[in-house]
Amino acid sequence: MNFLLTVLGLLVTGGFWQVAIQETALLLLPALGGVISERSGVVNIAMEGMMLAGAFAAVVCDLAWHNPWLAALAAILAGGFMALIHAVISIRFRADQIISGIAINIFAAGMTVFLLDKIYGVEGIGHVPPNFLLPTLNIPGLNQIPLLGQALFQQNIVVYIAIIVLILTNVVLFRTRLGLRLRAVGEHPQAADTAGINVYALRYGAVITSGLLSGLAGAFLSIGIVNTFVPNMTGGRGYIALAAMIFGKWTPLGATLACLIFGVGTAIYDSNSTLHFSPYLLNMLPYVLTIAVLAGLVGKSVPPAADGIPYEPGSH
Amino acid sequence: MAVPTTPTEQRRLPEPPTITKRALSIGRAIGSPVGAVIFAFVLGAIVVAATGSDPFLAYGDLLCGGIGLFCPTNVYPGFQISETLVYATPLILAGLAVAIAFKASLFNIGAEGQLILGAIATTVVGIKLANWPGWILLPLVLLAGTLAGAVWGGIVGVLKATVGAHEVVTTIMLNYVAQFLLEDLIVGGPLQAPGQSSVTAPIGKGAQLGRLVPQSGTFLGLPGGVYRVHAGLFVALAAAVIFWFLLQRTVFGYELRSVGQSTRAARYAGISVPRTIIMTMLISGAFAGLAGAVAISGLRHSLTDIYRSETTGFDAITVALLGQNAAIGTVIAAIFLAALHIGGQFMQGDAGVSSNLVDALQALILFCIAANFVRSLKLRLPALRQMPPSKSKEAPGVAAVATDTEPSATPNVKETT
Repeated sequence: MNFLLTVLGLLVTGGFWQVAIQETALLLLPALGGVISERSGVVNIAMEGMMLAGAFAAVVCDLAWHNPWLAALAAILAGGFMALIHAVISIRFRADQIISGIAINIFAAGMTVFLLDKIYGVEGIGHVPPNFLLPTLNIPGLNQIPLLGQALFQQNIVVYIAIIVLILTNVVLFRTRLGLRLRAVGEHPQAADTAGINVYALRYGAVITSGLLSGLAGAFLSIGIVNTFVPNMTGGRGYIALAAMIFGKWTPLGATLACLIFGVGTAIYDSNSTLHFSPYLLNMLPYVLTIAVLAGLVGKSVPPAADGIPYEPGSH
Repeated sequence: MAVPTTPTEQRRLPEPPTITKRALSIGRAIGSPVGAVIFAFVLGAIVVAATGSDPFLAYGDLLCGGIGLFCPTNVYPGFQISETLVYATPLILAGLAVAIAFKASLFNIGAEGQLILGAIATTVVGIKLANWPGWILLPLVLLAGTLAGAVWGGIVGVLKATVGAHEVVTTIMLNYVAQFLLEDLIVGGPLQAPGQSSVTAPIGKGAQLGRLVPQSGTFLGLPGGVYRVHAGLFVALAAAVIFWFLLQRTVFGYELRSVGQSTRAARYAGISVPRTIIMTMLISGAFAGLAGAVAISGLRHSLTDIYRSETTGFDAITVALLGQNAAIGTVIAAIFLAALHIGGQFMQGDAGVSSNLVDALQALILFCIAANFVRSLKLRLPALRQMPPSKSKEAPGVAAVATDTEPSATPNVKETT
């Protein structure tokens, strides 16, 4: 009873929702990337590695150039580069996309620390000064609304970008010819190819987009929410994003809802000192929920038909 | 197997293998992994050179640190080999776990979670029954770990076989559930040792696997106590033999491989695919659980938060792929990867090259194997592609089953790899 009251108390605080929305946006960017990639038929479990590469590149470049915008751009490109590797190996070489994804994650975890040691040595990477971080944007007027103002209109700029990306993804995927083609490529590439759609080009584009978005999320983490890079700082968020994508049944809006649930969970976790509740059991929640969805307890979640199958012209 | 053969149609036995033929088949089997390793090392050398270190020194250190070859005089090769074997022991078992799942065309990324469950069960039994005599307690703790891993893997198998939940996703999720379950138990939880944090009490003496080097006296110039290689190594090697026997000499192994080659063909042949999937994941989880059990019983003796950063369950994927899912290959690949890791630690101290280079090398190996993967092994998605049944595999029986369903397909099509 006490526990419920405390949670209810949290749910009416602006600060709680600020954290929850921030965490939601952090998960949403890679989750949307995953939706785009998998809708085109390329399994992507490498969001974790792409985020990590982005987080690292952002801090390195911000420390060097003292410009968060260029640093964020570098992070986006770093994520995109990792995605390009995944794309070449899984599309051009028709490799097993799961193995390629695992390799990306291991590669990013290893290379970031390798370069960290190489560039900064024993002194460590240090911290980015506050005025060179990605800024928080207060929307004048709207930010005065009680509860909602703090939750939605006093956020880091990346949160607004994430919302724009969400709208764009949803519109492009379901309201444009490009989106229709992308989904066709993910459901039945042979038919799409016959209709004159360039399967490879769309898949490359989709996978690289997922990397760009994950890279941005990495920058948000390392030079927006915190101000430095620590090894493996993504801490499984790329996998939670993967869970959110599946939980959301491979749709942008579903993934958003899932990210929101997981984001609220993280915010509860962050304010756990008042709750006296095992933080670890709370941390399990996204994963347990996802298994429940997969088990069909919360409705069936079906991936795109050609998800994970390399396309070879002339087969079938 | 219900292969309708009349004496005239009966398959001709293969010609007695000549030396060259055998050499060729071995060459084919190790060509891909060896090529991947060479590719990774060449790229790795470029990275090392580009970041201003000496690649020859770095790789020399890997060789010395990993397998004790060409060491400077102040390094004890025996000790380095012992450390490598310690690292390799759970890796062999976890590699077998991933490999047996691969054989059934299942991708077990959850070896890490199953291994953690095994470690938890071993520790719980080892603490609760600490005073029991070793001859009963030791088998009991290893069994507990094996069973716990089997349950964790079995969940995946049941979900896959009943509702079709993809095993890759469920295993990733269960890895995290296991991780947090462990944290919950040892950080302020019921297993935390009094007065300490993030660690349990040690398991009873009877639950511990013995060391292989006598702890008193000196061995190869060092006190015996520093050699941590333990009897778990024999458990792992025995498991590799069981793996081979199970796959190659039992009906279940035949069914498992059939399902791995083509679920449709297996179904036509009267094999219960769901049952095989569940059994495979149970056994796969059991191997991984035993890996966790052996590491606790032989080496760590208590649960710690080392599992936050340990990667045995993921390294096992590389091991299985490098070892081509064969028992002997898995053992060799596990020792190879362990040598890389131990050598990497030595390299970091000696050449000043971060040991994380080894992770990058491992990723490059995976990339290279993955790029050849579908074409050379046809491990995944065999039922989805209308390919003639593969003939290069070691399982002529499976080819017979497959041709049974598709009589027009000629089994003599050469692999285009």
